[in-house]
Amino acid sequence: MTLEILDGGLLTTIQDAGRPGFGHLGVPEGGAVDPDAFAAANLLLGNSADAAAIEMTLSGPTFRVRNAVTIAIAGGDLGGFVQPRDRRLPPGAAYGLAAGDTVSFPGRVSGGARAYVALPGGVNVAAVLGSRSTCLAGGFGGLEGRPLRRGDTIEAATADTARAELHLPADSVAGSGAPVVRVLPPPAMSDRDDGLLAAFTAAPWSVGPDSDRMGLRLAGPPLAAERRTVVSHGVTWGTIQLPPDGSPIVLLADHQPTGGYPVVAVAIAADRGALGACGPRDRVRFREVTHDEAVTALRERRERLEATSAAVEAAAVAARDEESWLDLSSWAGG
Amino acid sequence: MTRSLDEPLVRPFGDTAVLVSFREAIDPAVNDRVHALTRRIRRLAASDDPFGSPVPAYSSVLVPFDPLRVDADEAVDHVRVLASSDDDRTVEGAEPNRTIELPTRYGGDAGPDIDEVAGWAGLTTSDVVELHASVPYRVYMLGFAPGFAYLGRVPAAIATPRRDSPRARVVAGSVGIAGEQTGVYPFESPGGWQLIGRTDAVLWDVRRDPPALLAPGDTVRFVPVKS
Repeated sequence: MTLEILDGGLLTTIQDAGRPGFGHLGVPEGGAVDPDAFAAANLLLGNSADAAAIEMTLSGPTFRVRNAVTIAIAGGDLGGFVQPRDRRLPPGAAYGLAAGDTVSFPGRVSGGARAYVALPGGVNVAAVLGSRSTCLAGGFGGLEGRPLRRGDTIEAATADTARAELHLPADSVAGSGAPVVRVLPPPAMSDRDDGLLAAFTAAPWSVGPDSDRMGLRLAGPPLAAERRTVVSHGVTWGTIQLPPDGSPIVLLADHQPTGGYPVVAVAIAADRGALGACGPRDRVRFREVTHDEAVTALRERRERLEATSAAVEAAAVAARDEESWLDLSSWAGG
Repeated sequence: MTRSLDEPLVRPFGDTAVLVSFREAIDPAVNDRVHALTRRIRRLAASDDPFGSPVPAYSSVLVPFDPLRVDADEAVDHVRVLASSDDDRTVEGAEPNRTIELPTRYGGDAGPDIDEVAGWAGLTTSDVVELHASVPYRVYMLGFAPGFAYLGRVPAAIATPRRDSPRARVVAGSVGIAGEQTGVYPFESPGGWQLIGRTDAVLWDVRRDPPALLAPGDTVRFVPVKS
Protein backbone atom coordinates (compact mmCIF):
# COMPACT_ATOMS: atom_id res chain seq x y z
CA MET A 1 0.00 0.00 0.00
CA THR A 2 1.44 3.33 -1.00
CA LEU A 3 0.40 6.94 -0.76
CA GLU A 4 2.02 9.31 -3.20
CA ILE A 5 2.40 12.81 -1.78
CA LEU A 6 1.35 15.46 -4.30
CA ASP A 7 1.61 18.34 -1.85
CA GLY A 8 3.16 18.27 1.62
CA GLY A 9 0.84 20.77 3.29
CA LEU A 10 1.93 23.25 5.92
CA LEU A 11 3.84 20.95 8.29
CA THR A 12 3.19 17.25 7.80
CA THR A 13 5.43 14.80 9.65
CA ILE A 14 5.55 11.15 10.65
CA GLN A 15 5.06 10.85 14.41
CA ASP A 16 4.59 8.08 16.92
CA ALA A 17 4.38 8.18 20.71
CA GLY A 18 7.79 9.84 20.91
CA ARG A 19 11.40 9.23 21.75
CA PRO A 20 11.79 9.49 25.52
CA GLY A 21 15.12 8.60 27.10
CA PHE A 22 17.52 10.76 25.09
CA GLY A 23 16.99 14.12 26.80
CA HIS A 24 20.50 13.84 28.26
CA LEU A 25 21.85 14.00 24.69
CA GLY A 26 19.74 17.07 23.88
CA VAL A 27 17.11 15.10 21.97
CA PRO A 28 13.52 16.27 22.38
CA GLU A 29 10.94 13.76 23.55
CA GLY A 30 8.97 14.44 20.36
CA GLY A 31 6.05 12.38 19.11
CA ALA A 32 2.49 13.37 18.25
CA VAL A 33 1.75 16.83 19.66
CA ASP A 34 -1.94 15.93 20.12
CA PRO A 35 -1.57 12.47 21.69
CA ASP A 36 -5.34 12.03 22.11
CA ALA A 37 -6.13 12.51 18.43
CA PHE A 38 -3.09 10.44 17.46
CA ALA A 39 -4.18 7.50 19.63
CA ALA A 40 -7.78 7.75 18.38
CA ALA A 41 -6.65 7.55 14.74
CA ASN A 42 -4.68 4.39 15.44
CA LEU A 43 -7.39 2.75 17.52
CA LEU A 44 -9.92 3.36 14.73
CA LEU A 45 -7.83 1.08 12.52
CA GLY A 46 -7.24 -1.51 15.22
CA ASN A 47 -3.57 -0.46 15.38
CA SER A 48 -1.70 -0.29 18.63
CA ALA A 49 -2.32 3.20 20.03
CA ASP A 50 1.31 4.25 19.49
CA ALA A 51 1.85 3.18 15.86
CA ALA A 52 3.48 5.81 13.63
CA ALA A 53 0.96 8.06 11.86
CA ILE A 54 0.93 11.15 9.67
CA GLU A 55 0.61 14.37 11.68
CA MET A 56 -0.99 17.29 9.85
CA THR A 57 -0.92 20.91 10.98
CA LEU A 58 -3.69 23.39 10.03
CA SER A 59 -3.65 22.36 6.39
CA GLY A 60 -2.62 18.86 5.49
CA PRO A 61 -1.16 17.11 2.49
CA THR A 62 -2.70 16.04 -0.79
CA PHE A 63 -1.95 12.43 -1.67
CA ARG A 64 -2.88 9.89 -4.31
CA VAL A 65 -3.75 6.34 -3.29
CA ARG A 66 -1.90 3.70 -5.32
CA ASN A 67 -3.62 0.62 -3.86
CA ALA A 68 -6.94 0.32 -2.06
CA VAL A 69 -6.51 0.99 1.64
CA THR A 70 -8.42 1.80 4.79
CA ILE A 71 -7.21 4.90 6.60
CA ALA A 72 -8.40 6.56 9.79
CA ILE A 73 -8.54 10.28 10.48
CA ALA A 74 -8.77 11.86 13.93
CA GLY A 75 -8.21 15.29 15.45
CA GLY A 76 -9.35 18.63 14.08
CA ASP A 77 -11.39 18.83 10.88
CA LEU A 78 -8.89 20.04 8.30
CA GLY A 79 -11.47 19.92 5.53
CA GLY A 80 -10.48 16.46 4.29
CA PHE A 81 -12.15 15.21 1.12
CA VAL A 82 -11.58 12.53 -1.48
CA GLN A 83 -11.69 12.88 -5.26
CA PRO A 84 -13.07 11.87 -7.70
CA ARG A 85 -16.15 11.16 -5.57
CA ASP A 86 -15.90 14.53 -3.88
CA ARG A 87 -16.78 13.00 -0.56
CA ARG A 88 -15.96 14.80 2.69
CA LEU A 89 -13.80 12.92 5.18
CA PRO A 90 -14.51 14.38 8.61
CA PRO A 91 -12.27 13.24 11.49
CA GLY A 92 -13.16 10.53 13.97
CA ALA A 93 -13.67 7.82 11.36
CA ALA A 94 -12.04 5.10 9.28
CA TYR A 95 -12.55 5.24 5.52
CA GLY A 96 -11.97 2.87 2.66
CA LEU A 97 -10.08 4.40 -0.25
CA ALA A 98 -9.71 3.01 -3.75
CA ALA A 99 -6.67 2.98 -5.99
CA GLY A 100 -6.46 6.27 -7.82
CA ASP A 101 -8.32 8.27 -5.17
CA THR A 102 -6.84 11.64 -4.28
CA VAL A 103 -7.24 12.90 -0.72
CA SER A 104 -6.76 16.53 0.29
CA PHE A 105 -6.86 18.48 3.55
CA PRO A 106 -7.17 22.09 2.36
CA GLY A 107 -7.43 23.73 5.78
CA ARG A 108 -8.87 23.84 9.25
CA VAL A 109 -12.67 23.93 9.34
CA SER A 110 -13.33 23.27 13.02
CA GLY A 111 -11.86 21.55 16.06
CA GLY A 112 -8.17 21.17 16.76
CA ALA A 113 -5.24 22.56 14.80
CA ARG A 114 -3.81 19.10 14.23
CA ALA A 115 -5.16 15.90 12.77
CA TYR A 116 -3.70 12.45 12.16
CA VAL A 117 -3.97 9.96 9.33
CA ALA A 118 -3.38 6.40 10.52
CA LEU A 119 -2.48 3.57 8.11
CA PRO A 120 -2.83 -0.18 8.62
CA GLY A 121 -0.14 -1.26 11.10
CA GLY A 122 1.28 2.26 11.11
CA VAL A 123 3.55 4.12 8.70
CA ASN A 124 6.44 2.00 7.53
CA VAL A 125 9.59 3.97 8.35
CA ALA A 126 12.64 2.81 10.27
CA ALA A 127 12.85 3.37 14.02
CA VAL A 128 15.74 5.67 14.96
CA LEU A 129 16.75 5.75 18.64
CA GLY A 130 13.72 3.67 19.41
CA SER A 131 11.10 5.82 17.67
CA ARG A 132 9.65 6.50 14.22
CA SER A 133 8.95 10.13 15.11
CA THR A 134 10.43 12.88 12.97
CA CYS A 135 12.99 14.88 14.97
CA LEU A 136 13.04 18.19 13.10
CA ALA A 137 15.78 19.68 15.31
CA GLY A 138 18.11 16.76 14.61
CA GLY A 139 17.01 15.95 11.07
CA PHE A 140 16.41 12.26 11.74
CA GLY A 141 13.53 9.86 12.26
CA GLY A 142 10.27 9.73 10.31
CA LEU A 143 10.92 10.31 6.63
CA GLU A 144 14.53 11.57 6.37
CA GLY A 145 14.01 13.70 9.45
CA ARG A 146 11.93 16.28 7.60
CA PRO A 147 8.35 17.25 6.76
CA LEU A 148 6.65 15.43 3.89
CA ARG A 149 6.81 17.06 0.48
CA ARG A 150 5.75 16.48 -3.09
CA GLY A 151 7.28 13.32 -4.54
CA ASP A 152 7.46 11.37 -1.26
CA THR A 153 5.84 7.97 -1.01
CA ILE A 154 4.39 6.64 2.22
CA GLU A 155 3.97 2.93 2.89
CA ALA A 156 1.77 1.23 5.45
CA ALA A 157 3.49 -1.23 7.78
CA THR A 158 1.05 -4.07 7.07
CA ALA A 159 -1.07 -5.13 4.14
CA ASP A 160 -4.54 -3.67 4.29
CA THR A 161 -7.11 -5.89 5.91
CA ALA A 162 -10.20 -4.05 4.79
CA ARG A 163 -11.98 -2.96 7.92
CA ALA A 164 -15.50 -1.70 8.21
CA GLU A 165 -16.01 2.00 7.90
CA LEU A 166 -16.27 3.19 11.48
CA HIS A 167 -17.12 6.41 13.20
CA LEU A 168 -16.19 7.33 16.75
CA PRO A 169 -19.06 8.47 18.94
CA ALA A 170 -19.22 12.26 18.70
CA ASP A 171 -18.53 12.75 22.41
CA SER A 172 -15.18 10.99 22.15
CA VAL A 173 -13.99 13.33 19.44
CA ALA A 174 -11.89 16.23 20.73
CA GLY A 175 -13.82 19.44 21.18
CA SER A 176 -13.25 22.89 19.78
CA GLY A 177 -10.19 25.03 20.29
CA ALA A 178 -11.26 26.87 23.46
CA PRO A 179 -9.99 24.57 26.17
CA VAL A 180 -9.32 25.08 29.84
CA VAL A 181 -5.94 23.50 30.49
CA ARG A 182 -5.29 22.30 34.03
CA VAL A 183 -1.99 23.24 35.66
CA LEU A 184 0.03 22.53 38.78
CA PRO A 185 2.04 25.21 40.58
CA PRO A 186 5.73 25.51 39.70
CA PRO A 187 8.25 23.77 41.93
CA ALA A 188 9.82 26.99 43.19
CA MET A 189 6.76 28.43 44.84
CA SER A 190 7.39 31.69 46.65
CA ASP A 191 4.93 34.44 47.61
CA ARG A 192 5.86 36.25 44.50
CA ASP A 193 5.40 33.20 42.28
CA ASP A 194 2.00 32.64 43.90
CA GLY A 195 0.85 36.04 42.65
CA LEU A 196 2.27 35.25 39.26
CA LEU A 197 0.37 31.95 39.06
CA ALA A 198 -2.87 33.71 40.06
CA ALA A 199 -2.32 36.35 37.37
CA PHE A 200 -1.55 33.64 34.82
CA THR A 201 -4.67 31.58 35.54
CA ALA A 202 -6.90 34.69 35.67
CA ALA A 203 -5.89 35.93 32.23
CA PRO A 204 -7.54 34.94 28.95
CA TRP A 205 -4.79 33.96 26.54
CA SER A 206 -4.68 33.50 22.83
CA VAL A 207 -2.22 31.38 20.92
CA GLY A 208 0.42 33.34 19.03
CA PRO A 209 1.11 32.74 15.32
CA ASP A 210 4.75 31.82 16.00
CA SER A 211 3.74 28.67 17.91
CA ASP A 212 5.11 25.36 16.65
CA ARG A 213 5.77 21.78 17.72
CA MET A 214 8.22 23.09 20.33
CA GLY A 215 5.80 25.35 22.12
CA LEU A 216 2.72 27.54 22.23
CA ARG A 217 3.52 31.20 22.55
CA LEU A 218 0.73 32.86 24.48
CA ALA A 219 -0.47 36.35 23.62
CA GLY A 220 -2.20 38.53 26.19
CA PRO A 221 -1.38 41.25 28.68
CA PRO A 222 2.25 40.47 29.59
CA LEU A 223 2.90 39.12 33.07
CA ALA A 224 5.41 40.80 35.35
CA ALA A 225 8.41 38.75 34.35
CA GLU A 226 11.13 38.19 36.87
CA ARG A 227 14.57 39.35 35.91
CA ARG A 228 16.25 36.63 37.94
CA THR A 229 18.39 34.27 35.96
CA VAL A 230 17.90 30.57 36.41
CA VAL A 231 20.59 27.99 35.79
CA SER A 232 19.12 25.77 33.06
CA HIS A 233 17.41 22.64 34.33
CA GLY A 234 15.42 19.79 32.80
CA VAL A 235 11.88 20.71 31.74
CA THR A 236 8.83 18.70 30.72
CA TRP A 237 6.15 18.74 28.04
CA GLY A 238 3.62 21.12 29.60
CA THR A 239 6.12 23.33 31.42
CA ILE A 240 5.03 26.96 31.12
CA GLN A 241 8.01 29.29 30.97
CA LEU A 242 8.10 33.04 31.36
CA PRO A 243 10.73 34.79 29.23
CA PRO A 244 11.68 38.39 30.07
CA ASP A 245 9.06 39.82 27.69
CA GLY A 246 6.28 38.51 29.99
CA SER A 247 4.58 36.35 27.35
CA PRO A 248 4.42 32.73 28.53
CA ILE A 249 5.50 29.77 26.42
CA VAL A 250 3.87 26.36 26.94
CA LEU A 251 6.36 23.64 26.02
CA LEU A 252 5.06 20.93 23.69
CA ALA A 253 6.41 17.62 22.37
CA ASP A 254 9.48 19.01 20.57
CA HIS A 255 10.61 21.19 23.47
CA GLN A 256 14.30 21.40 24.29
CA PRO A 257 15.09 19.02 27.16
CA THR A 258 16.40 21.87 29.34
CA GLY A 259 15.33 25.46 29.87
CA GLY A 260 16.54 28.50 31.74
CA TYR A 261 13.45 30.71 32.02
CA PRO A 262 11.42 30.95 35.25
CA VAL A 263 8.51 28.48 35.36
CA VAL A 264 5.00 29.88 35.95
CA ALA A 265 3.13 26.57 36.08
CA VAL A 266 3.19 23.05 34.66
CA ALA A 267 0.25 21.76 32.60
CA ILE A 268 -0.90 18.29 33.61
CA ALA A 269 -0.06 15.34 31.38
CA ALA A 270 -3.73 14.52 30.74
CA ASP A 271 -4.15 17.88 28.96
CA ARG A 272 -1.35 17.51 26.42
CA GLY A 273 -3.95 16.73 23.78
CA ALA A 274 -5.86 19.91 24.54
CA LEU A 275 -2.63 21.91 24.20
CA GLY A 276 -1.70 20.20 20.94
CA ALA A 277 -5.13 20.99 19.53
CA CYS A 278 -4.49 24.72 19.99
CA GLY A 279 -3.75 26.69 16.85
CA PRO A 280 -2.95 30.33 16.09
CA ARG A 281 -5.51 32.79 17.54
CA ASP A 282 -7.31 30.07 19.52
CA ARG A 283 -8.32 31.14 22.99
CA VAL A 284 -7.06 29.12 25.92
CA ARG A 285 -7.39 29.45 29.68
CA PHE A 286 -5.56 27.77 32.54
CA ARG A 287 -6.90 26.49 35.84
CA GLU A 288 -4.93 25.36 38.87
CA VAL A 289 -5.66 21.84 40.13
CA THR A 290 -4.20 19.56 42.78
CA HIS A 291 -1.82 16.71 42.15
CA ASP A 292 -4.59 14.21 42.93
CA GLU A 293 -6.82 15.77 40.30
CA ALA A 294 -3.98 15.53 37.80
CA VAL A 295 -3.55 11.81 38.44
CA THR A 296 -7.31 11.20 38.30
CA ALA A 297 -7.46 13.03 34.96
CA LEU A 298 -4.64 10.89 33.59
CA ARG A 299 -6.39 7.71 34.76
CA GLU A 300 -9.62 8.89 33.08
CA ARG A 301 -7.74 9.55 29.88
CA ARG A 302 -6.39 6.01 29.89
CA GLU A 303 -9.87 4.61 30.53
CA ARG A 304 -11.24 6.71 27.66
CA LEU A 305 -8.67 5.25 25.28
CA GLU A 306 -9.43 1.74 26.47
CA ALA A 307 -13.15 2.37 25.93
CA THR A 308 -12.49 3.68 22.42
CA SER A 309 -10.40 0.63 21.63
CA ALA A 310 -13.14 -1.70 22.94
CA ALA A 311 -15.85 0.16 20.99
CA VAL A 312 -13.85 -0.10 17.76
CA GLU A 313 -13.24 -3.79 18.32
CA ALA A 314 -16.93 -4.41 19.05
CA ALA A 315 -17.95 -2.51 15.92
CA ALA A 316 -15.48 -4.50 13.82
CA VAL A 317 -16.81 -7.77 15.18
CA ALA A 318 -20.41 -6.68 14.58
CA ALA A 319 -19.56 -5.66 11.04
CA ARG A 320 -17.94 -9.02 10.42
CA ASP A 321 -20.98 -10.83 11.80
CA GLU A 322 -23.30 -8.90 9.55
CA GLU A 323 -20.98 -9.52 6.63
CA SER A 324 -21.19 -5.87 5.93
CA TRP A 325 -17.55 -5.33 5.18
CA LEU A 326 -16.91 -2.29 3.20
CA ASP A 327 -16.82 -3.26 -0.44
CA LEU A 328 -14.05 -1.10 -1.75
CA SER A 329 -14.68 -1.73 -5.40
CA SER A 330 -18.38 -0.90 -5.36
CA TRP A 331 -17.72 2.07 -3.14
CA ALA A 332 -15.16 3.36 -5.60
CA GLY A 333 -17.69 3.12 -8.40
CA GLY A 334 -20.42 4.92 -6.44
CA MET B 1 13.35 24.30 57.62
CA THR B 2 17.01 24.66 56.87
CA ARG B 3 19.09 22.25 54.92
CA SER B 4 22.78 21.83 54.64
CA LEU B 5 24.48 23.25 51.60
CA ASP B 6 25.20 19.76 50.42
CA GLU B 7 21.69 18.41 50.64
CA PRO B 8 19.79 18.75 47.38
CA LEU B 9 16.27 20.09 47.15
CA VAL B 10 13.93 17.37 45.83
CA ARG B 11 10.49 18.48 44.61
CA PRO B 12 7.76 17.34 42.23
CA PHE B 13 7.90 19.07 38.85
CA GLY B 14 4.39 18.91 37.40
CA ASP B 15 2.68 15.53 37.63
CA THR B 16 5.27 13.50 35.72
CA ALA B 17 8.70 14.40 37.13
CA VAL B 18 10.82 15.06 40.19
CA LEU B 19 13.42 17.83 40.08
CA VAL B 20 16.57 17.41 42.16
CA SER B 21 18.38 20.72 42.61
CA PHE B 22 21.85 20.92 44.04
CA ARG B 23 23.43 24.27 44.90
CA GLU B 24 22.59 26.48 41.93
CA ALA B 25 25.99 27.03 40.40
CA ILE B 26 28.11 26.23 37.39
CA ASP B 27 30.69 24.31 39.37
CA PRO B 28 32.56 21.08 38.53
CA ALA B 29 32.05 19.62 42.02
CA VAL B 30 28.28 20.21 41.90
CA ASN B 31 28.15 18.89 38.34
CA ASP B 32 29.99 15.72 39.43
CA ARG B 33 27.20 15.03 41.91
CA VAL B 34 24.62 15.65 39.18
CA HIS B 35 26.11 13.03 36.91
CA ALA B 36 26.73 10.53 39.71
CA LEU B 37 23.04 10.75 40.64
CA THR B 38 22.08 10.55 36.97
CA ARG B 39 24.02 7.29 36.56
CA ARG B 40 22.40 5.86 39.66
CA ILE B 41 18.90 6.76 38.49
CA ARG B 42 19.62 5.50 34.99
CA ARG B 43 20.51 2.09 36.38
CA LEU B 44 17.28 2.14 38.34
CA ALA B 45 15.29 3.23 35.28
CA ALA B 46 16.79 0.45 33.21
CA SER B 47 15.13 -2.10 35.46
CA ASP B 48 11.36 -2.36 35.42
CA ASP B 49 10.32 0.56 37.52
CA PRO B 50 8.20 3.65 37.07
CA PHE B 51 11.11 6.04 36.57
CA GLY B 52 12.18 7.30 33.16
CA SER B 53 15.56 8.35 31.83
CA PRO B 54 16.89 11.33 33.86
CA VAL B 55 17.86 14.67 32.32
CA PRO B 56 20.98 16.12 33.97
CA ALA B 57 21.83 19.81 33.75
CA TYR B 58 24.47 22.05 35.39
CA SER B 59 23.27 21.58 38.95
CA SER B 60 20.04 19.59 38.74
CA VAL B 61 18.56 16.31 37.58
CA LEU B 62 15.02 15.96 36.25
CA VAL B 63 13.65 12.48 36.89
CA PRO B 64 10.53 11.54 34.92
CA PHE B 65 8.10 9.07 36.45
CA ASP B 66 4.80 7.49 35.50
CA PRO B 67 2.17 8.87 37.91
CA LEU B 68 -0.09 5.92 37.17
CA ARG B 69 2.56 3.55 38.50
CA VAL B 70 3.98 5.44 41.47
CA ASP B 71 2.54 7.99 43.85
CA ALA B 72 4.24 11.40 43.59
CA ASP B 73 5.15 11.47 47.29
CA GLU B 74 6.71 8.05 47.00
CA ALA B 75 8.60 9.13 43.90
CA VAL B 76 9.98 12.18 45.69
CA ASP B 77 10.98 10.12 48.73
CA HIS B 78 12.63 7.49 46.59
CA VAL B 79 14.65 10.02 44.60
CA ARG B 80 15.54 11.90 47.79
CA VAL B 81 17.10 8.77 49.26
CA LEU B 82 19.12 8.23 46.10
CA ALA B 83 20.16 11.89 45.96
CA SER B 84 21.37 12.18 49.53
CA SER B 85 23.09 8.84 49.88
CA ASP B 86 26.75 8.88 50.79
CA ASP B 87 28.10 7.31 47.64
CA ASP B 88 26.95 10.40 45.76
CA ARG B 89 30.48 11.47 45.05
CA THR B 90 31.78 8.13 43.96
CA VAL B 91 32.70 7.67 40.36
CA GLU B 92 31.22 4.20 40.13
CA GLY B 93 29.91 3.63 36.65
CA ALA B 94 31.51 6.80 35.36
CA GLU B 95 32.89 6.85 31.86
CA PRO B 96 36.67 7.15 31.80
CA ASN B 97 37.65 10.79 31.41
CA ARG B 98 38.12 11.53 27.75
CA THR B 99 39.72 14.53 26.13
CA ILE B 100 38.34 15.47 22.74
CA GLU B 101 40.10 17.96 20.51
CA LEU B 102 38.08 20.14 18.18
CA PRO B 103 40.16 21.62 15.35
CA THR B 104 38.71 25.11 14.94
CA ARG B 105 39.10 27.85 12.35
CA TYR B 106 38.80 31.16 14.19
CA GLY B 107 37.61 34.50 12.80
CA GLY B 108 36.73 35.52 9.27
CA ASP B 109 33.62 33.93 7.77
CA ALA B 110 33.98 31.10 10.28
CA GLY B 111 33.72 33.45 13.28
CA PRO B 112 31.78 36.57 12.31
CA ASP B 113 31.54 37.90 15.90
CA ILE B 114 35.21 37.64 16.80
CA ASP B 115 35.75 41.38 16.31
CA GLU B 116 32.80 42.12 18.58
CA VAL B 117 34.21 39.82 21.25
CA ALA B 118 37.63 41.42 20.90
CA GLY B 119 36.04 44.87 21.17
CA TRP B 120 34.07 43.86 24.25
CA ALA B 121 37.22 42.43 25.83
CA GLY B 122 39.51 45.26 24.76
CA LEU B 123 41.81 42.71 23.16
CA THR B 124 43.03 41.78 19.70
CA THR B 125 41.35 38.94 17.80
CA SER B 126 44.48 36.82 18.15
CA ASP B 127 44.26 37.34 21.94
CA VAL B 128 40.69 36.07 21.79
CA VAL B 129 41.77 32.97 19.87
CA GLU B 130 44.65 32.33 22.22
CA LEU B 131 42.49 32.73 25.33
CA HIS B 132 39.61 30.62 24.02
CA ALA B 133 41.97 27.81 23.05
CA SER B 134 44.08 28.14 26.22
CA VAL B 135 41.94 26.21 28.66
CA PRO B 136 40.40 22.75 28.84
CA TYR B 137 36.60 22.86 28.95
CA ARG B 138 34.32 20.57 30.87
CA VAL B 139 31.15 19.19 29.29
CA TYR B 140 28.59 20.14 31.92
CA MET B 141 25.46 19.03 30.10
CA LEU B 142 23.85 18.53 26.70
CA GLY B 143 20.73 20.41 25.67
CA PHE B 144 19.30 22.98 23.24
CA ALA B 145 19.64 20.58 20.29
CA PRO B 146 20.75 16.97 19.80
CA GLY B 147 24.46 16.83 20.56
CA PHE B 148 24.81 20.44 21.74
CA ALA B 149 27.20 20.43 24.72
CA TYR B 150 27.41 23.26 27.22
CA LEU B 151 31.12 23.79 27.90
CA GLY B 152 32.73 25.85 30.63
CA ARG B 153 34.26 27.95 31.71
CA VAL B 154 35.38 30.57 29.25
CA PRO B 155 38.21 32.80 30.60
CA ALA B 156 36.56 35.84 32.21
CA ALA B 157 38.37 38.29 29.91
CA ILE B 158 36.42 37.04 26.87
CA ALA B 159 33.19 35.89 28.58
CA THR B 160 31.08 38.04 26.26
CA PRO B 161 27.30 38.13 26.78
CA ARG B 162 24.94 36.74 24.12
CA ARG B 163 24.12 38.88 21.10
CA ASP B 164 21.27 41.32 21.68
CA SER B 165 19.31 39.78 18.89
CA PRO B 166 19.76 36.12 17.96
CA ARG B 167 20.70 35.10 14.43
CA ALA B 168 17.94 33.35 12.49
CA ARG B 169 20.54 31.03 11.01
CA VAL B 170 23.78 29.79 12.52
CA VAL B 171 25.90 27.45 10.39
CA ALA B 172 26.52 23.92 11.71
CA GLY B 173 29.89 23.61 13.43
CA SER B 174 29.89 27.23 14.59
CA VAL B 175 31.74 27.79 17.86
CA GLY B 176 30.08 30.34 20.11
CA ILE B 177 30.49 32.11 23.43
CA ALA B 178 27.67 33.05 25.82
CA GLY B 179 29.14 34.48 29.00
CA GLU B 180 31.28 31.82 30.65
CA GLN B 181 29.78 29.12 28.41
CA THR B 182 31.07 28.01 25.05
CA GLY B 183 29.71 25.43 22.65
CA VAL B 184 29.42 24.16 19.09
CA TYR B 185 26.18 24.22 17.10
CA PRO B 186 25.64 20.65 15.79
CA PHE B 187 23.07 21.77 13.19
CA GLU B 188 22.14 24.84 11.30
CA SER B 189 19.71 26.55 13.65
CA PRO B 190 18.78 29.91 15.09
CA GLY B 191 21.17 31.03 17.82
CA GLY B 192 22.22 33.98 19.95
CA TRP B 193 25.77 33.09 20.95
CA GLN B 194 28.78 35.14 19.81
CA LEU B 195 30.31 33.18 16.94
CA ILE B 196 34.11 33.15 16.96
CA GLY B 197 35.01 30.11 14.89
CA ARG B 198 33.93 26.90 13.23
CA THR B 199 34.90 23.24 13.43
CA ASP B 200 34.42 20.39 10.97
CA ALA B 201 33.93 17.92 13.84
CA VAL B 202 30.59 16.11 13.58
CA LEU B 203 28.87 16.75 16.91
CA TRP B 204 25.88 14.54 16.14
CA ASP B 205 25.58 11.54 13.87
CA VAL B 206 22.54 9.41 14.42
CA ARG B 207 24.30 6.39 12.83
CA ARG B 208 27.02 6.58 15.48
CA ASP B 209 26.65 4.94 18.90
CA PRO B 210 26.34 7.07 20.89
CA PRO B 211 25.26 9.65 18.32
CA ALA B 212 26.60 12.58 20.39
CA LEU B 213 30.35 13.20 20.06
CA LEU B 214 30.52 14.72 23.54
CA ALA B 215 29.27 13.34 26.85
CA PRO B 216 28.99 14.95 30.28
CA GLY B 217 32.31 14.84 32.12
CA ASP B 218 34.37 14.89 28.92
CA THR B 219 37.14 17.44 28.51
CA VAL B 220 37.18 19.47 25.31
CA ARG B 221 40.08 21.40 23.84
CA PHE B 222 39.76 23.78 20.91
CA VAL B 223 42.77 23.58 18.62
CA PRO B 224 43.25 26.57 16.28
CA VAL B 225 43.81 25.58 12.64
CA LYS B 226 44.42 27.68 9.55
CA SER B 227 41.36 28.32 7.45
